[in-house]
Amino acid sequence: MTYQDVWIVVPAFNEASVIGDVVADLRSVFGNVVVVDDGSRDGTSAAARQAGAHVVPHPVNLGQGAAIQTGVEYARARPGARVFATFDADGQHRVKDVMAMIDRLTAEDLDIVIGTRFAAGPPPRMPLLKRVVLQAAAWLSPSSRRLHLTDAHNGLRVFNRTVADDLNITMNGMSHASEFISLIAENHWRVSEEPVEILYTDYSISKGQPLLNGVNIVFDGFLRGRMPR
Amino acid sequence: MNWIQVLLIAAIVSLLFYLLRSRTNAKTRAWVKVGYLFFVIAAVYAILRPDDTTVVARWLGVDRGADLIGYALIVVFIFTTMSTYMRFKELELKYARLARAVALQNARMPDDAGEVRAG
Repeated sequence: MTYQDVWIVVPAFNEASVIGDVVADLRSVFGNVVVVDDGSRDGTSAAARQAGAHVVPHPVNLGQGAAIQTGVEYARARPGARVFATFDADGQHRVKDVMAMIDRLTAEDLDIVIGTRFAAGPPPRMPLLKRVVLQAAAWLSPSSRRLHLTDAHNGLRVFNRTVADDLNITMNGMSHASEFISLIAENHWRVSEEPVEILYTDYSISKGQPLLNGVNIVFDGFLRGRMPR
Repeated sequence: MNWIQVLLIAAIVSLLFYLLRSRTNAKTRAWVKVGYLFFVIAAVYAILRPDDTTVVARWLGVDRGADLIGYALIVVFIFTTMSTYMRFKELELKYARLARAVALQNARMPDDAGEVRAG
């Protein structure tokens, strides 16, 4: 199988109904998938393992940022791991987008490639309010603007060993996406965006975070850097 | 602007900076204890001679000593809330790192890989 050196990190919390399909879909292309079960109370772990994923189970629920950090720490310790990707568990991403992003990463000598939903206008089925808030979030973040990023809160990212080794996400909850962008700016990682499609299924919309969470994300951003690292 | 307004605003802003910059270390903890000692002395004095608080309040442009104490209470309350919040955030991060260490120790290989190894 190709992509031997690629590890896909999937943070999952109570996703038993879809995680099997998501992992199987990933495994049709990528041999190495690690699901971080973030303290789920359903059969997420078992379903993921049956579908062929490595499973790292958080003993308690910590949040998506913490789960991504755990998954990357697991993956970077595996022999031969060179390329890493984060992929949401709810089935909103497409495997072929990851493949295109890996091609970009190697072809253009980048450290990290981030998916964007806004490359070719707003995506279909995205709720209007969500679009406005996400674009405002990208515009309001100084690092995001400086790096010319249009979609700071996309769950799809592909990065190399440099990024994986230095990654240290301290925001356990949903603020990790902005923290990721700040880390890119602080470490001068070479970054680019790749247009991706998000499949807004009823399931993924129902699992999506409430927009009010944006308030928490902005506030957490002020506190970051004052925490011990 | 009144003296009390200057003092209150300065207190709130400086506490904010102090909190956001400080890491809890032995030195800050020692200062907290010294601060508490001064607080006890001032409190005992104010209890024994309550009218003197009004004198101090008048210096600062406040009518009554009780009002002055009320303002001080608000500042102290904000300080406590903020420091508790920061402390919780720090603990949350340590807790996450502990849980992560446990999770990495309990990592499981995929089902099919287990079969290959067994066979």
